[in-house]
Formats: sequence, structure tokens, C-alpha cells
Amino acid sequence: MPELTEIANDFIRQEIDEFVERPDERERLIGLFAGAKPALQEIAAALVDGDDDTVDRLTTNALAAGTAALEVMDDGLIAGMAIVGVKFRENFIFVPEVLACARAMKAGMGHIEPILSDSGIEPMGKVVMGTVKGDLHDIGKNLCIMMLRGSGFEVIDLGVDTSPDDFLDAVEEYKPSVVGMSALLTTTMPNMGKTIDAFIDADLRDAVKIMVGGAPVTQEFADDMGADGYGKDAMACVSLAKELIGVETRG
Amino acid sequence: MGSRHVAETIDQTAYQERLDRIGEIFGAMMSTVAELSTRRCPYKNRFDQCTASFGCRNQRMAMDASQLKACGGDDQLDYRSAWDTG
Repeated sequence: MPELTEIANDFIRQEIDEFVERPDERERLIGLFAGAKPALQEIAAALVDGDDDTVDRLTTNALAAGTAALEVMDDGLIAGMAIVGVKFRENFIFVPEVLACARAMKAGMGHIEPILSDSGIEPMGKVVMGTVKGDLHDIGKNLCIMMLRGSGFEVIDLGVDTSPDDFLDAVEEYKPSVVGMSALLTTTMPNMGKTIDAFIDADLRDAVKIMVGGAPVTQEFADDMGADGYGKDAMACVSLAKELIGVETRG
Repeated sequence: MGSRHVAETIDQTAYQERLDRIGEIFGAMMSTVAELSTRRCPYKNRFDQCTASFGCRNQRMAMDASQLKACGGDDQLDYRSAWDTG
């Protein structure tokens, strides 16, 4: 059985020693990292640290050095995210840190995607996401984006306070299959309906499927405003996006 | 995105296995999010700083203006009632 001391990267060694307590997880992570190239351990360390610039640079270097893309994913990006998952579950880190790590993962995956494309593997679908006009609450949207990207979707994030025109412009520019709108406030929720109306006025309503979500949003409200679907949380958002583009979901 | 890579081919099934593994990790995280959100504001980071881009009554000025505001919420009450909704 590999020992912790066999892991070359100091940061990863310390992270496992300090934060991973369950024996089965500890053994699995030690085994994984002990067998990983030092350059990939560095990628994992930068990801755990939420450092997207460093993940970007190190992933570029690893691929340029001839490391296989799937090995970069396995021993760098996914292995790093496994540590993040444990730290989050045990409350050593919280949602803002997890989202920073997800951004770091995206930075790395940005270099894998051209290889996927060259291999004939396209994203599951393209989704434009934004929090509606007047609303600055973005945690729910950001968690949905993290889940969608993790499921193989390409996501264009329009951020917060997104006007109907911004949504329309994004649809014309990126040609997504799905548009996702989020609102946290009862006062901004009607802007979802206004955005859908803008799609109808611009003759673009049939060009995309529209899904909505957010704490005050309900299935009934989604139906009333003419959305194609409602997701109550980030997990439901992924299932819904798959359903809207006609991908079968398991389970 | 500028990476130089030799003609490498990725197998669809092998890639899907990676996505499944990411899905497992992220899925477990979402269970933690659901549980955690009942007792802690999701905008509050591990240093008890507020990462929100909107106002909240629980925000406290940081000593250094370039730093994030501190969160003064005690996590005992519904944190959402403190958020600016105007």
C-alpha cells in the first residue's frame, strides 16, 4: 500500500494529511497521487487552491510535454476535485471556495476541449445562463453552471443583472440549444417573463428551449410565463437541460 | 486555446467515464450545498468574509478597504432576510 510520503507534491501531501480522515478515502487518494506524475500533482494542487491561472498554465505545459489528455484529467483535474469534495463535505471550505476550484477546473478543461473536438467528441449541448435584470444573486446560477459543465455542456455565463437584450444578443451570437434564467427575488422574477416575451417579439422563441430556476420560482410560475422547464436546484437543472435537448438521463 | 498537442484521440466511452466521475463528485457536493444552505449563507467564505456583489445587513467593513467585507451573521437566523432586495 502506498505511503503518504510517496507523494512528491508537498501541498497535496499536506492537504491529504490534514483534511482527508476517512481511511478508505485516504488510501484511495494516496494511491492515486503516489502514482501520478509530479507535473499533474501540481495541477491538482493549484486546483485545490482555486488558482485558475496556474491550472491554465500547468495544463498547457503538461499537454505540450506529451501527457495524455485523459491522464491530465484523471491525475490532475479530477484528482484535485476529489480533495475539494472531501474538504467541502467536512466543512473545511464553503461554496465560494468550491466555485473558485470549479473555475480552476474549467481553465484546465479549456485545453482538453480542443482535443475532444479533434476526436469527434462535441459538448453535450450549449447553454446560455444568466441571472435576470435587476438581480445580483448568482450563487444558484453558478452552481448550475458548475454542474452543467461537469456533465459535458458548454456554458456561456452572462453573469448577473442580465437584460432581455443581453439574452437575445447571446442567443444570436452563440446559438445555444438552451437558455437558463435565474432569479432569487420575487421582485425580479417577472423579468423572466419579460425576457421570454422579448424572445417572442424578436422571433427567436422557437430557436431555443428556456429553463428557469431560483428560490421563489415554481413550476406553476414557469408554466404561466411560458418557460419550457423549471429546475428546483442544480441537479435538476442538469436533468432538465438534458431533457430539453433530448438526451436520455439515467436513474 | 493555444495548447500544442500532438494528434491525440480520445475515446468517447473513456471520456464519458471521466464525466461520470466528475458527476459523482459534484453530485455529492450538491448534497452538501443543500444541507449547508439551511444554516450558513452560501456567499460566506471560509474566512467568514462576504463574497456577495449585493448589500447585506450582515456585512461589516473590513479594516483594509481592498479586502472583502466581513460577515457578521451568526447563522442562527434566516440569512436571506438580511440580503438587500431593492
